[in-house]
Amino acid sequence: MARKEYQKRLSELRDDVLYMGEVVQERLRMALAALESKDDELAEEVIVRDSEVNDLYLDLERQCTDLIARQQPVAGDLRFIAASFKIITDLERIADLATNLGKYTKQAQRDVYPDVDVQEIGAMALEMVEAAMDAYAEEEVEMCYAIDRRDDDLDALCERASGTVVRDLIETELGMETDEGEIERLLSDVSRVLLTVRDLERVGDHAVNIAARTLYMVENDDELLY
Amino acid sequence: MSDTGPAIETSIEAETDTARGDSGGVDQQTAETVLSARDLEVFYGDERALKPVNAEITEKKVTAIIGPSGCGKSTFLRSINRMNDMIDVCRVTGELRFKGKNVYDEDVDPVALRRKVGMVFQKPNPFPKSIYDNVAYGLKIQGKDGDRDAQVEEALRRAALWDEVKAKLDASGLDLSGGQQQRLCIARAIAPDPEVILMDEPASALDPVATAQIEDLIEELSRDYTVVIVTHNMQQAARISDRTMVFLTGGELAAFDDTQAIFENPKSQRVEDYITGKFG
Repeated sequence: MARKEYQKRLSELRDDVLYMGEVVQERLRMALAALESKDDELAEEVIVRDSEVNDLYLDLERQCTDLIARQQPVAGDLRFIAASFKIITDLERIADLATNLGKYTKQAQRDVYPDVDVQEIGAMALEMVEAAMDAYAEEEVEMCYAIDRRDDDLDALCERASGTVVRDLIETELGMETDEGEIERLLSDVSRVLLTVRDLERVGDHAVNIAARTLYMVENDDELLY
Repeated sequence: MSDTGPAIETSIEAETDTARGDSGGVDQQTAETVLSARDLEVFYGDERALKPVNAEITEKKVTAIIGPSGCGKSTFLRSINRMNDMIDVCRVTGELRFKGKNVYDEDVDPVALRRKVGMVFQKPNPFPKSIYDNVAYGLKIQGKDGDRDAQVEEALRRAALWDEVKAKLDASGLDLSGGQQQRLCIARAIAPDPEVILMDEPASALDPVATAQIEDLIEELSRDYTVVIVTHNMQQAARISDRTMVFLTGGELAAFDDTQAIFENPKSQRVEDYITGKFG
């Protein structure tokens, strides 16, 4: 096979994107664990180590631009690099969202809304990210479509959860005689739970983006893009 | 391009009119097709250099021809204006139609054909004459009337060379830089007012700046002329062409599609392997 150095660099790019995917999934797992066990230390670790993901992102971005500038990739190679370039942005954003979860964990003073199963939502979002990276690794077209369909389930779950929080607020809390301090705490709890749900829903959106770019990469099909 | 010149050129024009005008004619050309290959095969002695080629080349577009060495891309280019006639052992079968008229018909004069279908070669080859005479030469042999100075200026302007040479038209064409010489050859090719310009790796002997000037010029020329260019430089084909033909080993036309499709999503795996550099 000709252009051995070029082929080696393409292969390295793929390995490094998959590695970044592993790191980001691990961060999300840690953030969910911290949230569940209210482990401030673990939450802090997720926040601090976000810079590692940023460094991986910058290195991969440089690899992509370097390949484009110096190797003039075309056809399947070009689609692979273009897709990878977009996918690392989604991975970086997922890590940022995991960092948000870490911050919410540290802010939480008490257990609220046991009716909202954040862990169930988180598990579904994480599973979508895992599947999206598997689809990228294995060039699995069917899995890309499955992730897109799964996002509808996640969105429905998130909508129900947000609805539960707001309904609960209207039905019970507002009728109570509460002092100023209690209202502040209530607002903080409500917004934290709503933001947690919204961020996990966004993790699912990024997983769909990864699936959409993978589909473009494999089949030159832009059906799942927007 | 309305000038018809000598008799056989008139023959080409007349045939074209018939082909376009007569709905019962054998040749239903679309308005945009200027060159059409029908089962065109080229042999050198017993060896087949080109497997049957069927292709339609569109008017006022840049068509690039790429492929590995020895794949037949120059052979195809040279078959368009019968440059292969000069090779004794060369034999052509099938048809190559220029505006509906098979250029291999017995009544076609190759010299007249080459005025309509001009050619620019890899190595700039100006005559050892003045810049002015290099351009005027083609006009003289054509017996073209009119203001010779104005015609020379027009050709040099179209070749994006006028501003650089207008003060030294009497200087030898050989004193110009490589890139200027190539543009002089392009001016010489377009002076007789051709319809098609064939280019055989016109920038491969030039430095990057001169190459960029030629590439800009090709884009300009495609407003008025049909350009068919053979290039070894795939990025050049990707940059400048509208359509791309890919010939693969054995003289096979493996793909002919919009350039964007060839370089972003080629239909054939063999073409993909070639353009991504996996072989060839």
